[in-house]
Amino acid sequence: MKKQVLFSLALAGAMTMSTAVTAMAYDHEAIENSGDITITMMVSGTAYENDFETEQLPALIKEKWPNVTLEVTKLPDDNYYTSLKTKLASGECPDLILTQPMYAGQNSCYALAEAGYLASLNDLDTVAGRQDLNSVTYDGDVVTSTSGVSILGTYYNKDLFAQAGIESEPQTWDEFLEDCQKLQDAGIQPIVMGDKDQYVLQFGLYQIAANEIYPKNPDFDVQLRSGETHFTDEGTWDKVLEMYKTLYDNKYIDASKSLGYGASQAITDFIDGKAAMTFDGSFNAAALTAEGAAGPFERGYFPIPGTEGVYTATCLSAGYSIYSGSEYIDQCKEILDYWQDGSSPVWQAHLGTGRIIATYGEGADTAPNYELFKPFIDLLNEGKGFYWCNQAWPAGTETEMEVLFSEMVGGQGTEVEDIVEGMQEKFEDLLED
Amino acid sequence: MALGKKKDDREVQTYMKTSPKTILLYVVIILFCIVVISPLVIVFSSSLRSPENQTSPLALFIEFTGVSYIRAFSNMNYPMQLINSIMTTVGSVLCIVVFATMAAYPIGRIKTKLARFLYFFFISGLIIPSQMVIVPIAQTLNRLGVPNTRFTPMIMFITCSLPFSVFLFSGFMKGLPVEIEESAYIDGASLPKRFTSIVFPLLQPAIISCVITQGLWIWNDYFYPMVFITKKAQYSLPVGMLQFLGDKENPAQWNVLFAACVLCALPLIIVFLALQKQFVNGIAAGAVKG
Amino acid sequence: MQPKKKRKGNTSLIFTNKMYVFLIPALAMFLVFWIYPVLQLFYYSITNFNGINYDYEFVGLKNYAKVLSNGTLSNSLKNTMIYAVFTVVLSNVIGMAVAMALNTRIRFKGLFRTCAYFPALFSAIVVGFIWSYVYMPGAGMIGNLLTLIGLDGSAFNPLGNYKTALYAIAIVEIWKGFGTTMIIYLAGLQTVDESLLEAGRIDGCTEWQLIRKIKLPLISATVTINVILSVIAGLKAFDYSFIMTNGGPGKSTKTLMFQVYETAFTDMKMGRASAFSVMAFAFIIIITVLMLFYLNKREVEL
Repeated sequence: MKKQVLFSLALAGAMTMSTAVTAMAYDHEAIENSGDITITMMVSGTAYENDFETEQLPALIKEKWPNVTLEVTKLPDDNYYTSLKTKLASGECPDLILTQPMYAGQNSCYALAEAGYLASLNDLDTVAGRQDLNSVTYDGDVVTSTSGVSILGTYYNKDLFAQAGIESEPQTWDEFLEDCQKLQDAGIQPIVMGDKDQYVLQFGLYQIAANEIYPKNPDFDVQLRSGETHFTDEGTWDKVLEMYKTLYDNKYIDASKSLGYGASQAITDFIDGKAAMTFDGSFNAAALTAEGAAGPFERGYFPIPGTEGVYTATCLSAGYSIYSGSEYIDQCKEILDYWQDGSSPVWQAHLGTGRIIATYGEGADTAPNYELFKPFIDLLNEGKGFYWCNQAWPAGTETEMEVLFSEMVGGQGTEVEDIVEGMQEKFEDLLED
Repeated sequence: MALGKKKDDREVQTYMKTSPKTILLYVVIILFCIVVISPLVIVFSSSLRSPENQTSPLALFIEFTGVSYIRAFSNMNYPMQLINSIMTTVGSVLCIVVFATMAAYPIGRIKTKLARFLYFFFISGLIIPSQMVIVPIAQTLNRLGVPNTRFTPMIMFITCSLPFSVFLFSGFMKGLPVEIEESAYIDGASLPKRFTSIVFPLLQPAIISCVITQGLWIWNDYFYPMVFITKKAQYSLPVGMLQFLGDKENPAQWNVLFAACVLCALPLIIVFLALQKQFVNGIAAGAVKG
Repeated sequence: MQPKKKRKGNTSLIFTNKMYVFLIPALAMFLVFWIYPVLQLFYYSITNFNGINYDYEFVGLKNYAKVLSNGTLSNSLKNTMIYAVFTVVLSNVIGMAVAMALNTRIRFKGLFRTCAYFPALFSAIVVGFIWSYVYMPGAGMIGNLLTLIGLDGSAFNPLGNYKTALYAIAIVEIWKGFGTTMIIYLAGLQTVDESLLEAGRIDGCTEWQLIRKIKLPLISATVTINVILSVIAGLKAFDYSFIMTNGGPGKSTKTLMFQVYETAFTDMKMGRASAFSVMAFAFIIIITVLMLFYLNKREVEL
């Protein structure tokens, strides 16, 4: 073993001890050999009825290992971020935390891994052999255990589409615009968005970017960092923003209203049948398929089609990481492996919530709303799925985009070229230091 | 100081005679109260809906069910969090009153530049929001080896309350007559004796006001318990409420949140209704002297 | 209060320097858990600390230069000033007016006082959410009322409008806070001697003159405390920008504290946010001290 360590050190030079050591399997009997232990976990989200993370998971873990008490805290995301930072600073971080792929958000797994807070998960049984984990791999170490995918798409009301005489889902951008026009002509608000919560602008823009930017240059964002590409490059973001702006120009999205609407109000309008479409994520499926004032109606879900083919903003969803300072690293690994193994009761329960879309494991295709999501997963499997843009940008770039875009549609004299310049400036500013 | 006496006089006073002018006054006041209260009706009406009912909250009282309350009650583990909230609030407020009145004693009584400086030094703490300093605070606690327990948020509540409380007490103290203390000094009373038996009782109106304002704030504050408590069994009510709030990927459970909010405010409302007179007069009496 | 000649040091026999012992517990806590962390913040302002990675470097005054040059300071400063002036003026005017109305001999005084104080019992999160329904375009509470009286309710969109959003959230702050202001004024008014007012009436003063010449001067200390407390609250404005508008539309409701928060947490520029805070603190201190001096001077003059 020692030889091996020395060998890898010699080979990789800068490779850290931990990487070399974790090449061994972790202790699969860690929990069995511990006494009564309490493992803490912190995630962001809302506590639903019979909530998975805060209620089912602790119970199922207790069932499997009676000596383990799992304490799960759920917080709204801004509070989650603040808590996470504070707990890292005070050295009392929970053992398991929720992290996002690449650079997304303040719980970005790259940023946390760079600062040395995340344990390597390379030796997890459920990680071995997986090829799809690039966006949670930092410096050769898988740092986040994740299994599902998340989708950005367009929810639509099939009844209203039929009323406007639309028979099938649009396959090209022009068809999409025509359908919007048909809805408008029929006196139906085509799209409702809650732009007061500016982050929802990402829901539409990233779908368009998946069509117009990444198919032509999958490395666009990598090259942004190296300076080979810029947000200001012609035919890239200017095109995406221009396309999205069309929806506002034609009042398919009514900016005078949407800027005063919150995300949850937009969802209410959609389920009340007051608008035919809304751009939203798979994570909001439960709310968007709930029954509203319009009674039950059939929903569909499609990716905004592009000018040259249909691609989707579908990618690996957020997952769970182990705090490197945890006393119970191996115990947490046992838990994660049990959770993610594709047939365990924990896995089944997680799947049953309908809030993750699994691409593998028993019963993945029987999960709630699976029919809605299937077209997206097919696209993903065909290699036509791209990550959400902000995962590749330093956090804060997307905020600048949202602010400038809402200034534009709010009639503040901001132009598309101001937005791309602003994004580029902010991007460079954030990358500095 | 004549305040207490005046109040008694008022008990026997007559009300204004009915004239067009007074009727107008009533109408204006009642309209005003309706405007103030109406948004809160939304909270109450929504809290009586089932969690899944997502129709606009403006459709008032369309459903009457206790489901949201039951969910909030059990999910928050209400009795436990209620006890935690009471302990945190009462404990912090007690310490605040003791420490701040003590600190205000020299600041309010000694007339030197140093005392004046200390006065402004404490006040300067009023203007810095805690969100900004939270990371350095956490590091400081870490360096001092203070573990995350139920007492950690209390430490921060007390510290953050000092600027306002010292400001309040020392201002009030400046208005208190010094003669009683002078005669006590002549009678040979020691400093601690003077403080506990003369000054502290005289501060009572300000103390009520401090207890109310700071108690209200501590009761409703989720920030420090959220970041400094690790064990769920030690959470207070506002932290429990947070879990219904949701985030970008998980819509808030508004009806449950409203129910939780009513449950969280309920003890305050009960206390407020029971002690209304002391409550309002207390705030008034304390603050007016500041 | 006592006439005393200006002299260096403490000359009082009764209030000796020994009294400073009483200060120890409070001062110790304040220094350790507040001042020391604040100083550390000052220190971060010359580094490129990102909030999580403690492997940071010194960057000198670069953060300060950046904050001054990138326009975020001037925008948020402007918004904060408007917000503060608006809330200070309105909450004091409304608070005082209601206090004066309730200081007359009317029935149900307790009930009215309770109504006015009720909003203060609820947390800002819930208040922010309710008000977004009050303001919602079209189907919102005010929108519905406007439609009811024959106006165009769907055109009412205060939070979505660049010109009105800031005032709209300031109104929420006033709604939640004026009860406390009112109660403090009420207390001040109760100390006003009724005989003085009676004398004024006999001299033929109008109600307005009574307020202007007798009531206001007599409650000037109350005015000072209310104004200072609301100025500080206004300058620290954060909650409703955060909960209701997220700083939007555009940048129109980004206040100083919101901008600091966004820089520190969303942009992960803790160092720059620290520089920003240092400048914001300096600004707030200057304003507060100036106001204190001015109001104290006025109090004496009146």
